[in-house]
Amino acid sequence: MSSLDSDSGLSAFGSPRRDGRRPLVSGGPVTVGTRRIRMRALVGREVARFMKIKRQTLGAPILETFLYISVFGAALGAAIHLVHGFRYIVFVLPGLIMMAFATNAFANNSSSILQQKFTHAIDDQLSSPASPLELLLGFTLGGFLRGLLVSGISYAVAGALVGEPVRHLLVLLPSIALVGLFFALAGVLVGVRAKQFDDVALYQTFVIQPLIFLGGVFYSASSLPQPFGTLTHFDPIYYMISLTRYGFIGFRETSILVSFLALAAATAALFAVDLWIFTRGRYLRS
Amino acid sequence: MLALDIQNLVKRYPSGTEALKGVTLQIPEGAFFGLLGPNGAGKSTLIHCTTGLARPTSGSVRVFEHDAVNHYQHARSGVGLAPQEINLDQFLTVEQVLDYHGGYFGMTRRERRARAGELLEAFSLTEKREDFTRFLSGGMKRRLTLARALMHRPPLLILDEPTAGVDVELRLELWRYIERVNVEGTTILLTTHYLEEAERLCDRIAFINHGSIITEGSVGEICDHFHVATLEDAYLRLIGRDELSRA
Repeated sequence: MSSLDSDSGLSAFGSPRRDGRRPLVSGGPVTVGTRRIRMRALVGREVARFMKIKRQTLGAPILETFLYISVFGAALGAAIHLVHGFRYIVFVLPGLIMMAFATNAFANNSSSILQQKFTHAIDDQLSSPASPLELLLGFTLGGFLRGLLVSGISYAVAGALVGEPVRHLLVLLPSIALVGLFFALAGVLVGVRAKQFDDVALYQTFVIQPLIFLGGVFYSASSLPQPFGTLTHFDPIYYMISLTRYGFIGFRETSILVSFLALAAATAALFAVDLWIFTRGRYLRS
Repeated sequence: MLALDIQNLVKRYPSGTEALKGVTLQIPEGAFFGLLGPNGAGKSTLIHCTTGLARPTSGSVRVFEHDAVNHYQHARSGVGLAPQEINLDQFLTVEQVLDYHGGYFGMTRRERRARAGELLEAFSLTEKREDFTRFLSGGMKRRLTLARALMHRPPLLILDEPTAGVDVELRLELWRYIERVNVEGTTILLTTHYLEEAERLCDRIAFINHGSIITEGSVGEICDHFHVATLEDAYLRLIGRDELSRA
């Protein structure tokens, strides 16, 4: 053991140190700090995690998005005439970008929380002074940032190749942010409730992915035969895609205002459920 | 002043198991307090209720007079926990583990940098600061777990079986660290299965079994309570295995 000298100071708890000094290994002023510091640490940890394995968390999903663009946009798209007056690649790109945001936000949070529960590393955060709200926001923003990064890089490259300008930025930005937030919160919910990795995969494979695919990423719902056209309207992802598509290329199949308000309400409801779980400590604290 | 003041603490799990049955325990500031008992006695549950990892069913927990249940922020900032199982974040480096921990406890970047440097030096981990935790040896992981618990300068340090499964050299090394920490003024609550560890380190000991504190005092007082000569015999009497006594 090397230097164990100390400088002076008082403990914020109890009496001054026995020898009046602040030792190196223990003691000293303790505060709960500011919410900003705690939040930065909580979000920072999540970012550090996905950056540590960036080939898996960033590289793979970006590649996946480009494979979709290549196969459905370029290869198959060449055989498809215009969709509602748009080139097929232009028509599918908004849905692909939204899909990248949603799936990455979801996957990040559900996996990260479950991994930390398995290893009990999450106890470090749970036993800290961080409030339930801070913990929830920390986990949520981690996945949100990963989704933003993946979809942002994908759009930066694909958008340049496609060469189609964004039509309604003021609709697009809040819409896609809400989509990301919704799926980040959903990832938190699933991660907190999950007991094994199978539980996460179950939601991802059997719920999220089908809903996204059947929500009209690759086609227009109005072109579907009945009853599939009507059934699509019961898929909440359909409205998210519609919002995003309107923001990107100006094409809409639903009421933008109603879709946006419904998405905002759904996100707020999910946030409330997550916050209730974190406040009660359900699934996290015994 | 009391470092830890637990009154009538009850913890009942949804399964119906009552892990703590009205525990009352007071640990004065500066003490080195040992909590002994067999597996399933309620030691870890008591620690979890103190650190916020478990929600008490009823009763109160106060850390340096701060309510640890309902107004937990100040109470939690006063406690450092080194858990029984190594729970280091495998995605972080040694330095990041300390840095993020300090951040969760509200330390500024400058404070964190300085404090992490001190602890890495003190625990002989400076050369490993850039290494990811999963590449550390078992001993280094133990030392880092202890360093992390001390990162935010807690006046109450809780050590849940810190030397379980470690070799003699590391055990002696860890003893030296925690003795030093206590001498410097930190109150310590130690749970252990090693009676010689409790005898050597602790100035007061409590026996817990079936969720209740059976007795509490110095080693001598506990031996008197059980009418035996050694702590080991007292423990054997506690668990009803007198026939194993070496006396």
